[in-house]
Amino acid sequence: MKDLTELKKIEKFADQCMKCGFCSFFCPVYQEERVETSVARGKNYLVRLALKGEQEFTPEMGDIIGKCLLCKRCAANCPSKTQIDRVVVGARAQMVKDKGLGFIKNFAFRKVMANRKAFGRYLKLAKAFQWMFPKTEGNIRHLPDFLKALGHGRNIPTLAKTFLRDMVKPVYKPVNGEKPKMRVGFFMGCATDFIYPELGLKLIDFLTKRGIEVVVPENQNCCGAAIYFSGDFETGRMLAEENIKAFKDVDYVVTACGTCSSTLKDYQKYLPDNEDQQKRYEAFEKKIKDSTEFVIDVMKIPPEDFKLRKEFEGKTATWHDPCHLIRYQNIKEQPRAILKALKGLKYVEMPNADMCCGMGGSFSVYHYDLTKKIADKKMDGIKATGADIVVTACPGCMINLIDNALRNKMTQKVYHFLELVE
Amino acid sequence: MLKESLVSEFQKIVGNENVLTTPEALKAYSYDGTTSWIHEPDCVVFPKNTKEISEIMKIANAEKIPVTPRGGGTNVSGGSVPIMGGVVLCTTKMNTIVKIDKENLTATVEPGVVLQDLTMRLMKEGLFFPPDPQSFLGATLGGIIAENAGGPACVKYGVTKQYILGLEVVLPDGRITNFGGRTLKNVVGYDLLHIFVSSEGTLGIITKAELKLNPIPPAKKTIMAVYAEIAMAGESVFRVLENGVIPGKIELLDNWVINRIEEMMPMGLPKDADAVLLFECDGIPEAVEKETEKIVEITKKYGAVDVRVAKDMDEANKYWMARKAGFAAVFGKAPTVMAEDVTVPRGKIPEFIKRCRDLAKKYDVEMCILGHAGDGNLHPSILSDIKNKDLYERSLKAMDGIIEGAVEMGGVLSGEHGIGLEKQKFFRRAVDPVAVELMIKIKALIDPNNIMNPGKIWD
Ligand SMILES: Cc1cc2nc3c(=O)[nH]c(=O)nc-3n(C[C@H](O)[C@H](O)[C@H](O)COP(=O)(O)OP(=O)(O)OC[C@H]3O[C@@H](n4cnc5c(N)ncnc54)[C@H](O)[C@@H]3O)c2cc1C
Ligand code: SF4
Ligand code: SF4
Ligand code: SF4
Repeated sequence: MKDLTELKKIEKFADQCMKCGFCSFFCPVYQEERVETSVARGKNYLVRLALKGEQEFTPEMGDIIGKCLLCKRCAANCPSKTQIDRVVVGARAQMVKDKGLGFIKNFAFRKVMANRKAFGRYLKLAKAFQWMFPKTEGNIRHLPDFLKALGHGRNIPTLAKTFLRDMVKPVYKPVNGEKPKMRVGFFMGCATDFIYPELGLKLIDFLTKRGIEVVVPENQNCCGAAIYFSGDFETGRMLAEENIKAFKDVDYVVTACGTCSSTLKDYQKYLPDNEDQQKRYEAFEKKIKDSTEFVIDVMKIPPEDFKLRKEFEGKTATWHDPCHLIRYQNIKEQPRAILKALKGLKYVEMPNADMCCGMGGSFSVYHYDLTKKIADKKMDGIKATGADIVVTACPGCMINLIDNALRNKMTQKVYHFLELVE
Repeated sequence: MLKESLVSEFQKIVGNENVLTTPEALKAYSYDGTTSWIHEPDCVVFPKNTKEISEIMKIANAEKIPVTPRGGGTNVSGGSVPIMGGVVLCTTKMNTIVKIDKENLTATVEPGVVLQDLTMRLMKEGLFFPPDPQSFLGATLGGIIAENAGGPACVKYGVTKQYILGLEVVLPDGRITNFGGRTLKNVVGYDLLHIFVSSEGTLGIITKAELKLNPIPPAKKTIMAVYAEIAMAGESVFRVLENGVIPGKIELLDNWVINRIEEMMPMGLPKDADAVLLFECDGIPEAVEKETEKIVEITKKYGAVDVRVAKDMDEANKYWMARKAGFAAVFGKAPTVMAEDVTVPRGKIPEFIKRCRDLAKKYDVEMCILGHAGDGNLHPSILSDIKNKDLYERSLKAMDGIIEGAVEMGGVLSGEHGIGLEKQKFFRRAVDPVAVELMIKIKALIDPNNIMNPGKIWD
């Protein structure tokens, strides 16, 4: 018998599917492609066959399992609560286990490598960064992926001149000099680190002004999203261990990236291999807070206490729900409450606010054409609001929204919600 | 297996990306919403317009290759499973709402339009398409027409066939033809249009449809009536109707279903109730108020132990969410679920429910009942497991009993899911032999080579 450890872990989730087809309506990928292998029902079915030994992990199967944003819109609307994210990630993990990482990356990279121009740019970018992290394999492996996503014929945000990791101090005491109310670890994540360092500084500033001590452990690593979502659980666990260790002495871990907060919380869901890991990852989950939930749910700042920065006065704003906030962490009302309460800002809800922007991490690297089509629908929603600015809380989404707003020659600017408030 | 050369001919017609032949893709087109029917096609073709379909059919007809039309693949009768292999002709890429005519209250659609997409579009215009199969998120209009689908709104509004004014169809030999038109009344010649409605893909391919629409009623109200005895709920259904109130919907959930829903998403349904009925009245506000009062009065008089009128949209939505979750509640609870869709004359509902419960006892199977009680269309569902031979056989016997019971009481085999493969074994027992003979002759006339969805209905 073949070793199907990873698939066995998700068997019960795949078995829940009753083939009703409801997911097709919610799946942004299916909405573009309209074929059964794009949607949760088809993926579940094929994974079930794999479990029964009736489907090999062919390159085609890899493509099918790869073509998922992990946006979880299907799962959120599935009457049987089938958890396609776990099925897809589990299947990818099994493939990595069976065939090695090279296999997945090989066919996945196919499309990128075929594009010489994009590939060249990627290499150049990757090379430019390589020297920074000579030791941590995780970073090297993951960063090229991420940069490639940026480089693939896109409007690339300028990389920060100085990365956040080179600017931050290990400890920030509360500004008022009083005894800290709590000790919070700041998790940078790569986008905040390399592209939006000012966001990180902003968050630190925001917290320390309100009596919180912020620590920025030096040996924190990448959250692991791009890594363990592509099935590399081994590296994923390594990162989990490092991050857990780095943040062992704090009350909470706060991030400015919706994907990071979600990924850190979800170590317990995807990665554990034994009970000990399960327990420790669950304990870690309890500490993690996205900035949007932290300010409202933990700091309990009433929404009306937030002050709008001058430059945004009189503007109309709309909110884009990052999948990793709304569906992975159930964070929906907190940012809206703030935006609606901000004096001087007008809030308009966009149609399909919860629909994925099309980024899906490395999905957009391999399927940029699809990303553009999905994003175009998002852009239509944004246009329909007449808003001047689009607010969100995940740098990944920001990058994609900016790219597509530019591509569509739109005037809307994209901001992280932290950038709006004093 | 298909000849290579045919695949490339199809590719020439629809483009390479619209012909699927990988083993993975074929597997993904081997099933529908049923658990028991699976068969892979030899290839899947996605045409983009009527002309392409016509060309594909010409080839298939010449080569005598089976063609199974498919929309969302949500049917629960095996209808879109290509049981003889051949080509699955999938319409999901023909999904344009061609026209909405507000003056004449009609819409022109391609077959691959998903019902919910149409509903959302129509909502903006203040219109709706009344047939509402509960698979609206996945079902396409082609499939809905081919199955003559219906849903909760049928009590008041009727089924799909009442809302199809005209069809464009590609016949098995590739000829493109039109039936009906865009007028409400049409008495020109034989009504061929309606042979195609509920043809389950065995006569031709629906490539365009002219739909009749209604304006959205300005007011709605939801009422939940709670019963200590399910037969009483059954009785209330026809008592309400005989007292002159025709609600938009009347749905039934039994104790088992109520409790599973409460497990899944607690929303305060009465867990001790043997059954609840959900009513929705719609129309002009004054009428809706009056009808609601009347329903409360009648249900109380005929045995409801508690009657709640939803105070606002939120509460109403909650109840309807519960109803929608019903399917999942049932399907999630057993490896194999046999969900019936028999329909009995409304007056027989209490007797039929009793029969179902007796059968469950007799064969020692777990059974629950939910359904569109308002039109006598019930879904008694048996929780079974195909891997447990003894249980499975008892379940089959109980299911036979249910169907026989329904037919005995003057009901029909299928209220909405169609015959497909699932109900074939009952077909000839339940349908008049002369009618069967005529159907077979019509089929032979339209599809002499028997390439359209072969192996279905009476085969
Ligand atoms: C959860 C759930 C709830 C459901 N609830 C209801 C309900 O309330 N009421 C109800 O009536 N049904 C219901 N159904 C059954 C099913 O959804 C309907 O029969 C629906 O109309 C099928 O539409 P489809 O697009 O999925 O068609 P498919 O399943 O793809 O096909 C159905 C049949 O139509 C034929 N067909 C499809 N397209 C064409 C075409 N263009 N031309 C000719 N033939 C074609 C196929 O060959 C097949 O025989 C439910 C199913 C599920 C899974
Ligand atoms: S909605 Fe859920 S149960 Fe239905 S087909 Fe999709 S995954 Fe399966
Ligand atoms: S997670 Fe998103 S992309 Fe993946 S199948 Fe579900 S809806 Fe589609
Ligand atoms: S979520 Fe994205 S941006 Fe944040 S650390 Fe992880 S991979 Fe980097």
